[in-house]
Amino acid sequence: MKYERALIAVAIVVFILVLSYAVTLGAMGSTLPPRDLRLLAKLYLWLAINPWTRNLTVMSPEAVTSIVWDFRGLDTFFETAVLYLAIIGTVAIYRGVYASSKSREVPISEDEVGMSPIAKSVTKITLPIVIAVAVAIALHGHLTPGGGFQGGSTAAVILLLVLVVFSLQYSIRMGITKGSTLALRSAGLLGIAVTSILVLILGLLVGCQSFIFQNQPKAYAPVGVPAFLDGMLVSGTLILFNIFECLAVAAGLTLTFILVLTHEEEIRSVMKGDRHE
Amino acid sequence: MSSDFHLVAYLTGIVIISLFVNMGVSLYGMFARPSLIKKLIALTILSDTANVFAILVGYRRWPPGSIVKPPVLTELPPTPERVARFVSTAVDPLPQALVLTAIVIGLAVIIFLAVIIMQIYRTYGTTDVRLISKMRGERR
Repeated sequence: MKYERALIAVAIVVFILVLSYAVTLGAMGSTLPPRDLRLLAKLYLWLAINPWTRNLTVMSPEAVTSIVWDFRGLDTFFETAVLYLAIIGTVAIYRGVYASSKSREVPISEDEVGMSPIAKSVTKITLPIVIAVAVAIALHGHLTPGGGFQGGSTAAVILLLVLVVFSLQYSIRMGITKGSTLALRSAGLLGIAVTSILVLILGLLVGCQSFIFQNQPKAYAPVGVPAFLDGMLVSGTLILFNIFECLAVAAGLTLTFILVLTHEEEIRSVMKGDRHE
Repeated sequence: MSSDFHLVAYLTGIVIISLFVNMGVSLYGMFARPSLIKKLIALTILSDTANVFAILVGYRRWPPGSIVKPPVLTELPPTPERVARFVSTAVDPLPQALVLTAIVIGLAVIIFLAVIIMQIYRTYGTTDVRLISKMRGERR
């Protein structure tokens, strides 16, 4: 056992030394940090907002969001699929555990469950503030650092705080249930799916060529979502993607928090049922 | 200028060295620690280290007389000069875009693994992999 651990330690040290030496020699394309950007990065930066190259630009000053939802939109689509497969896996492990069934019957007031009134008051004050910040992060995703993922995570954090401070029972009575978060998450995912084929549908209606994940008009596909709405920069599909992603991430993560916080006895009773099958 | 350069080189060196040390520690934690919880903690450290490393690969050296900017054009409306200056000072946006999704996916995967570990604890009464492997599926 001791030799095994020493062997593991030596192997890891050798691996790290080889890796660091390779990086020093320029395995990442150049020495770190690079003196200049790669051509690809320069093209991304150049085309993020470039009204003189209408066929290639995204019309968003935020280069990261334009990569995430336009240049490499399909990548993000499948990364979102991985995220929701993990959440679906969590839901599948907790199959048969209905977090709402028992708790709904017992009428409880706010004071009987959860943490102290101080914690509750502070949470009540911060809840609207954090939700406003989350929505602002998501809605400004195409203008400033941030976007749907970050906004959704921010909203999920305050919802986790609500679940812990007000207790799961009370939150379920207030409507934060497995079903409602699942429905919100599905609505967000449906929105992302529809937005990804929005321009394709437009192209079919107009009768010209168009692509999946198309945003602005391209050379042989002259349809697109307008970049300006009433003089305001919305960057076409980017704002829609950010809104739906925010909704889906916030609801999906809250769903897993609800499942993780489910009462131990309830899960034990379901597992006992498994055993007697 | 020269002292600035030395400071930046020193700080960058510290960041890179601590990244590799972090990587080694977290790999050791994942392979050698028997507790599943500690393996999960080591995995989160490893994924964060990998994310920071990806950001570092997309960073760029400070050009003389200016500072590096985030990949966001802050001067609107865009003119050709502004966009050209933006391209010459901004860092690589691609690693940031990949890390952005990696963080959120990592969060979901960590929740999934935590739920599996909780379920293993409920079933076996322990998170020690040496004991679990000896149980061979027998419930406690």
